[in-house]
Amino acid sequence: MKKKAVITGIGIVSPLGIGHQDFWNNLVSGNSAIAPMECLDLSKYESKNGAEVKDLNPEEFLGRKGLRYLNNGTKFLGSSAKMAVDDASLEIDEELSNHTGILIGSSLGNFSQTTDYFHDIIREGPSEVSPMKSYDVALNSSVNYVSVFFKMKSFARTISSGFTSGTDAIGNAVKLIQNGKAKVIIAGGVEQISLDLYMIFYLQKMLAGASGSGNEISMPFDKRRDGFVMSEGSYVFVMEDAEHAQSRGARIYGEISGYGSLFSGNRNSDIGNRVEKARNTMKSCIEDARISTDNIDLINANGNSGKLLDLLEAKAITELFGKKSEEVPVHSIKSTLGESYGASGAAQTASALLSISNGLVPPTINCEEKDPECNLNINNEKVEKNINSVLINSFDLSGNNSCLVIKKHE
Amino acid sequence: MLWVLKNPVFPIFSKGFNMPRVVVTGLGLVIANGIGVTNAWNALMNGKDGTAELQSFDSSQYKVHRACEVKDFKIDTVFENETTANTIHKYTYTAAKEALKDSGLSDIAGCNRERSGIAIGTLAGELPPFEYLLRNTPKDKANGFDMGVALTYPPSSITTLLSEDFNFEGPNMVSLNACSSGNHAIAWALDLLHEGKVDVMLVGGGELIPQTEFTHFHNLKALAPEMCQPFDKERKGLVIGEGAGIMVLETLDSASKRDAKIYAELKGYGMSCDGHHMTAPHPEGTGAIVAMSNALSMANMSYEDIDYINAHGTGTPLNDRMETLAIKSIFKERANEIPVSSIKSMIGHTMGAASAIESVVSCLAIKNNAIPPTIHYETPDPECNLDYVPNEGRETEVNCVINNSFAFGGNNVTNIFSRL
Repeated sequence: MKKKAVITGIGIVSPLGIGHQDFWNNLVSGNSAIAPMECLDLSKYESKNGAEVKDLNPEEFLGRKGLRYLNNGTKFLGSSAKMAVDDASLEIDEELSNHTGILIGSSLGNFSQTTDYFHDIIREGPSEVSPMKSYDVALNSSVNYVSVFFKMKSFARTISSGFTSGTDAIGNAVKLIQNGKAKVIIAGGVEQISLDLYMIFYLQKMLAGASGSGNEISMPFDKRRDGFVMSEGSYVFVMEDAEHAQSRGARIYGEISGYGSLFSGNRNSDIGNRVEKARNTMKSCIEDARISTDNIDLINANGNSGKLLDLLEAKAITELFGKKSEEVPVHSIKSTLGESYGASGAAQTASALLSISNGLVPPTINCEEKDPECNLNINNEKVEKNINSVLINSFDLSGNNSCLVIKKHE
Repeated sequence: MLWVLKNPVFPIFSKGFNMPRVVVTGLGLVIANGIGVTNAWNALMNGKDGTAELQSFDSSQYKVHRACEVKDFKIDTVFENETTANTIHKYTYTAAKEALKDSGLSDIAGCNRERSGIAIGTLAGELPPFEYLLRNTPKDKANGFDMGVALTYPPSSITTLLSEDFNFEGPNMVSLNACSSGNHAIAWALDLLHEGKVDVMLVGGGELIPQTEFTHFHNLKALAPEMCQPFDKERKGLVIGEGAGIMVLETLDSASKRDAKIYAELKGYGMSCDGHHMTAPHPEGTGAIVAMSNALSMANMSYEDIDYINAHGTGTPLNDRMETLAIKSIFKERANEIPVSSIKSMIGHTMGAASAIESVVSCLAIKNNAIPPTIHYETPDPECNLDYVPNEGRETEVNCVINNSFAFGGNNVTNIFSRL
């Protein structure tokens, strides 16, 4: 018998709120976090909207010591990890620290601190850069900080696979729980808004409004959609071996029961092949969970308002679910939250767990003129529904496709 | 039944009973003292030092001017949207092409592409192309971005580009775990192979020398002024390096079916985390001890089975002392007789690529029954008193190798290769 990986704690630092209650309340109320960005000077650029984390007081979670040397990503990750551990009522004592690891996905990691450091080098000279910034000059420094904060001894791993990073980190953590490498894993995804992140996708004209259309709204599956809106945040879970969680009487939000990941080429690939790979990824994930499409009560879509990605996701869902694709509810949290890159899959996981606990499907706002080619059951209002299994889709335009199945714990 | 009760190894054995065995069927190297496995291995066995004056950028504002850069690198193809300078993509592409050809999988059409994945480790990713641009127009950071940078700058580009180059359609991941990135990627791949999700994994690591990382190590006073002297009493730090090491991992079943040449079996890995400090290793090496001990236990082996330790051996005072202590703790009475060497003395510390390159070299040690030396070894250190294979390569029977990587932040991954 395989071990089961269950979630016992949720920690959230999100533009939709700090903590899972605020996040969930805003998500189901359809309150958008998207507004003109304040942390970057975008006066020269066409696309100005974003969803920024506000109101985080990291001191509340991490204490004062050394706080001023931490970058935003580390503050996000550290605060959400502490929140998740507290939410799980978990005490990581010396014995448990030997069996506790951390596995985080991030698209860029600490790249923007690394490039800031370089900018300082060439402007001020190599001997003038602050030694305190030096901690950040490795892409995994946020994760290192958290591993030291909790004195974790089992392992620390940061992975990057673009927009699917968070999904892949959670999927990988499940496997490490299942094969007994750790009893507890702090797993999830983190991403911070930076000029770097902005420029990468602005130059590729993937951001809503970047091609000069004036449409800067996130409108997944709407025929007027023009790209995604950038977002940030950290979504972290306490994942435990089910036996360990039960033996300590922990509350269980749900089980991560399936994971699948495939690559579809970008350069050499037509849309047909991409749809096939997205479909096969969902299929392999559902098989990994040992259920069938009939058991999926809800699809938490990638739906990031991207012109091509939304279309191929809708086609893939229709192909795999057949007639059921018109019935099973599909929603995208990115309509209110935006695209948080490496943190997206983890944000979707939080939403899926809370959908299961609360029996609610959050609305997909702004989908008012549904793309006729995206013939899915998408709602502008929240929907009450008894939910046992959720499929999470996570797709990256550069070719990564990853999915998770989240199941109510029995 | 009595036997079961008496034998504590049994539970581990029974758990792994249905797991496929995983073997190495192809190797590729791009390192400072040689490009291609044959050149690189000969250079390593001959103790050829890859250290030279730094060329990648102007080092006049620094106290250190030496590095282990890849020399005379040429690539047989032109990539769209990429700079003419060397990139991680070019290094990993070249090493991957060599490894795939070596394994007989150049044309992976014969494989199930969805069951063929890629995992690559890096510390800094494709940072230098950004540095070239910004260096010329330093006023505004946005000047560091053009389309080429936008496409390659997210670290995941390393594996997505390779997946496209070689038509892989399975899972892919970039491991961002500082100096143990390569071994993390290999560990991730081994788990996927054990789980039966994939048949073939192209794994490894790649790194360039960004001025950013050079400055970082320089300002931490971790760089040696002239050369890297692991375990020597006069060791003064690491020499920064670059390159790529790639291997083809495959289930034994898949390799046997196509009669592939097999270098070694990947027996297992061990991970640990010091949870101690952002840059300094734990002084007693507790994390390193746990990593080695977990690797032995996953491999279902004892310290008595190991013939060679491919050390992390960075040449920094703290690491080499700590690693020696950890080796003594694990290998007990055998610590003094097992050869330990650090190829970082010849190719520098290639950061995210280091443990992958060392994994490739570990397989070559098994194939050739030979151990590359630790060069620049002159003055014994009473605190580091093991057999470091000083200055001369050694021919001896090598059936089983343990390969250590202990990164900044106390992020440790050790793996074990053995003759099939």
